[in-house]
Amino acid sequence: MTQGQTPTVGQLKQIIRKRLRSGRLVAGLLHNMRKYWPLYAMALPGIAFLVIFKYVPLLGSVIALQDYSVFRGLQDSPWVGFKHFETLFRYPDFQRVLVNTLLLGALKTILAFPIPVMLALMINEVRHALVKKGIQTALYIPHFLSWVIVGGIVFDVFAISGLFNIVIGWFGYDPVLVMQDSRFFRAVYVITGIWRDAGWGTIVYMAAISAIDPQLYESAMMDGASKWKQMLYVTLPLLMPTILILFLLDIGNFMELGFDHVFNLLTPMTYSVGDILDTYVFRTGIQQAQYSFATAVGLFQSVIGFILVHTFNRMSRKISDGGLW
Amino acid sequence: MATKKWGTLVIAASLTLLMLAGCAQNNGNANGNTSGNTQEANNTPSATEAVEEMIDLVVWNTNLGFKPIEKGSQLYELYKDVLGVGVIHPYVEWNGGTAYLNQLNLKIAANEMPDLFKPQQGIEESLAKNGAIADLTDLLPEYAPNLWNLIPEEVWNIVKANDPTGKGRIYYVPGVLDYGRTAGLIRQDWLDELGLSMPTTQEEYVKVLEAFRDQDPNGNGQRDEIPTGGREEARWMDHLFAMYGIAMHEGNPDWDMYDGELTYSAVTPYMKAALAFNARLYKEGLLDPETLLNNKAQWDGKIDANRVGSYFHWAESVGGHLETIQANAGVKGDFAVLPVPKVEGYEGFYTAKRFQGPVWVVKNNKDEKKLMATLKLLNNLYDTNNWEKLFYGVEGMHHVMNNGKPSTLPEDKSTMENKVFAPHNDFDTVEFKKNLFNSIDYGDRKWAIDLNLRNMDENVKYIKTIAGDGLPASIYEGFADINNRTLYVEYATKIILGQFSIDKFDEFVEKWYASGGEEVTKRAREWYAKTNG
Amino acid sequence: MVFESRGEKVFRFAILIVLGLLSVIALLPLLSVISVSFSSGWVVDLNQVTIWPKAFTFDSWQYMIDRPDLWRSFFLTLITTLIGTLLALLVTAMLAYPLAKKEFMIGGILMVGVVITMVFKAPIVPYFLTVRSIGLYDNPLVLIVPHILNPFNLIIMRTFFKQFPKELEEAAFMEGSGYFRLLFSFVLPLSKAVLATLALFYGVVLWNQFQHPLFFITDTDWYPLQIKIRQFITDPNEMPFLASRQEVNYNERTLRSATVVFAIIPVILVYPFLQKYFVKGAMIGSVKG
Repeated sequence: MTQGQTPTVGQLKQIIRKRLRSGRLVAGLLHNMRKYWPLYAMALPGIAFLVIFKYVPLLGSVIALQDYSVFRGLQDSPWVGFKHFETLFRYPDFQRVLVNTLLLGALKTILAFPIPVMLALMINEVRHALVKKGIQTALYIPHFLSWVIVGGIVFDVFAISGLFNIVIGWFGYDPVLVMQDSRFFRAVYVITGIWRDAGWGTIVYMAAISAIDPQLYESAMMDGASKWKQMLYVTLPLLMPTILILFLLDIGNFMELGFDHVFNLLTPMTYSVGDILDTYVFRTGIQQAQYSFATAVGLFQSVIGFILVHTFNRMSRKISDGGLW
Repeated sequence: MATKKWGTLVIAASLTLLMLAGCAQNNGNANGNTSGNTQEANNTPSATEAVEEMIDLVVWNTNLGFKPIEKGSQLYELYKDVLGVGVIHPYVEWNGGTAYLNQLNLKIAANEMPDLFKPQQGIEESLAKNGAIADLTDLLPEYAPNLWNLIPEEVWNIVKANDPTGKGRIYYVPGVLDYGRTAGLIRQDWLDELGLSMPTTQEEYVKVLEAFRDQDPNGNGQRDEIPTGGREEARWMDHLFAMYGIAMHEGNPDWDMYDGELTYSAVTPYMKAALAFNARLYKEGLLDPETLLNNKAQWDGKIDANRVGSYFHWAESVGGHLETIQANAGVKGDFAVLPVPKVEGYEGFYTAKRFQGPVWVVKNNKDEKKLMATLKLLNNLYDTNNWEKLFYGVEGMHHVMNNGKPSTLPEDKSTMENKVFAPHNDFDTVEFKKNLFNSIDYGDRKWAIDLNLRNMDENVKYIKTIAGDGLPASIYEGFADINNRTLYVEYATKIILGQFSIDKFDEFVEKWYASGGEEVTKRAREWYAKTNG
Repeated sequence: MVFESRGEKVFRFAILIVLGLLSVIALLPLLSVISVSFSSGWVVDLNQVTIWPKAFTFDSWQYMIDRPDLWRSFFLTLITTLIGTLLALLVTAMLAYPLAKKEFMIGGILMVGVVITMVFKAPIVPYFLTVRSIGLYDNPLVLIVPHILNPFNLIIMRTFFKQFPKELEEAAFMEGSGYFRLLFSFVLPLSKAVLATLALFYGVVLWNQFQHPLFFITDTDWYPLQIKIRQFITDPNEMPFLASRQEVNYNERTLRSATVVFAIIPVILVYPFLQKYFVKGAMIGSVKG
């Protein structure tokens, strides 16, 4: 199953399997701990954090199987099995909500994910340090505007007297009220997402590029590789592990489109394409404080996300060296 | 063996150490709260320290950014004098009620329910079922007679009928609105300018709107007038539905008698006719093209820019807009109440609801003293003699005295403590409102205030209290989308914009009934039979 | 200098043009927010402000800057951000480093555990009760502690550590350094780029935090910046206000814009400083030098 080439996990798994077979896993672990105790000591605060702040609260997800009431608490709230999941699947518009969620998620992943890589590669070609700094700062600023603010700006831009209609007016077009037209919603979602977060997304890549050995470029130049070729055959391949990891992390949150992002752009006229699981949960779960239901939907999204990460992680380990685990 | 034990021990020990470190740091902190045992520690300093045993209560209510009320603060002292109880009112982010509700739930989960608070989104129902809030049925007549007597018996009967435990008990103090507050409004001065008379029928009204659109009533030489309009989700444009006899509260369809039975107005043929009319207005450019995109600020901005001919809002608050119009455009305008235009075959009215839903619930306090103090507070709160004092707040902070008359100061969130009690809004009568308008020293603003007063009297003529008045939110339980009007808003807006033809309305009605409307209607009618039986 | 062919010049020029254009598009909306913050409330209400301020005024800024509670929140946030970032880098590096080592036997299973915490989100009420039970309720430490480890950042750092040239490390190992010394005096000093990146990521989250103080802090004195400025700009009220007309030039919208800009300024100022750690070859260069 596991490829022998994947050194870390593969070898470990083999060792574990071997130890298991001989019933010496615990002994092996203890041996490992004794030998490399500083690594374990180092990891301790982080692990403790994850346990306290992530895993213990995560156990509370069992309220998805309850009719949780804040007054009764976890112990006294009645158990209802998969009732809330049924409610979700029986929701008359479930199909629409799910399709919208998957479609927007796919658009986000396919269209928005590559942009920061391209931007980083482009910024990397800028020589002048000050210009480079200026461009980077300008591109990452939108990330600091919250979606409420961005939403307000977007509605203004597409208003009747807004920038968009002024510009298309120059070309003789009648004003279009984009925000109340379901044909444009997906495009608006993707473009605003890119506009706000692509610049921010370049930061990791810029850091990764900075770790590349300049000697590689020098030798590439010796071989007569143009800038374009260097970008293609030196920078990009060396960025691949980072891109891969970020992609895997991204895919894990496939179903999370950013509630605020969608909510602040949505109008009743665009429900048909923009109503997603998160907005549905907000209406029914959060506004009404139905914590059990909200948790159930959250679990549903997370499980799908986890299946996706797992699948892609295995794929990436097959085709390349890297992966999350 | 020994090593194994040793290893686990180390891990366990370090983990414990880490946790302890966290807690120790915390204990060094000023509050010194330890886990789980914070019940009364932070908000309520021990009641016994005051000489006359002043009891402090934690009160939660809407706060749109003002300062909290802390022990010994100016407003605390005022409330102590007026209400006889110490009031601690922590700041709780409101954010449309969502953040408030979330924090309230967390407080309850942590066993720290406030002593007196405004419930949100029907939270009182599960609290009542769980015995978390006090059964007020016997307590109010005995310990808060002012409140008990002020609110009419019919209203109490509705509260009893709405008891989620089904036992006919009272679990909350309801809000009461004793007059019709909202109305369609129209620029009287524009009518005069164009030599038109006040429209009384739909045709006349449409003619007037056309004239507003075409004849430059604001006289700026531009065709920038917006004959009429409203806000997102087809809200605040009730006047365009009212003429068809639609029960509607600030844009939300409501329940009334149609064909002899209590019915959701959105699924009646009346609504179909109203939507067709709205679609026609939109198509002819008589509705603001951005009607369904306007938020409050944008729509108010258009009104204040002297561009809007007719809108729907509180009849008593036209003065504010008119003053702004005067400042912006130098025109002394006049927004008069628009008589509900007559449509052949329909009985039009502006919707009024006396019953405003729960305003206060009381924690089911095990501490007898606190429960009694809460009731004392409610009793004094509903003593109408105290209302002016509560309205004007602290002198120097909320108001100043001019010529012996109090004059409220402009809102300043950096200095003002939140006036958590506004009984005149919770039991709103036309008399008290008018007295308030009359008691303030307005100086040269009087002309605008007088128009408010005129509209309040005028609006009485067009008001009808709907049959669904008092219907509890619990009828929507399990059907959040019906409660949120999601389906209605989607179809209504698309029909108005012409994206859906009016025939789609029938599909909406079908879907509405199929997705829970049937059950909700059944519950509503059962409720109606019970309250009117 | 190496020759640059004509094609390459065109190539670089085209890139510059594209990036320049994108920068303008990125900045325009901020510009409009800034102009609103410097415009008078009434023009803004009439929806007349687009790119340049109209009826110019400092009133919104004046109002905001004059509020003492704002400055308290500002410095509180500044301090928690600084301490929190340092602490977060420390904790993250100390976990990321073992995770990048293949001799760390539980690394694989731990990574799965980390990814799970990323994909699965704890429901709010259990989270609240847990954090509360360890004493972080109404405790300023809640502005720091819950933010000291982020799975996403952890994985990024691990990825960088994994790409760290092994030969260099082995050399140091030969010299007899233990893992702690290796990490702190060898690996970390050579990982400035990723440290700068994560400092930015952590810093921004700490600076912008809203949810935690909202749920865990009741004393408004301990409100950090983002939640404090929300107090200035809460929802409009349908209720007519009977007060005398305000002779001020600000309103909800201008204030909101001013606060937004105010809160962004520090973050914008910080970035260029961090950028110097992104210089190409910073790591290798320093090894050789």
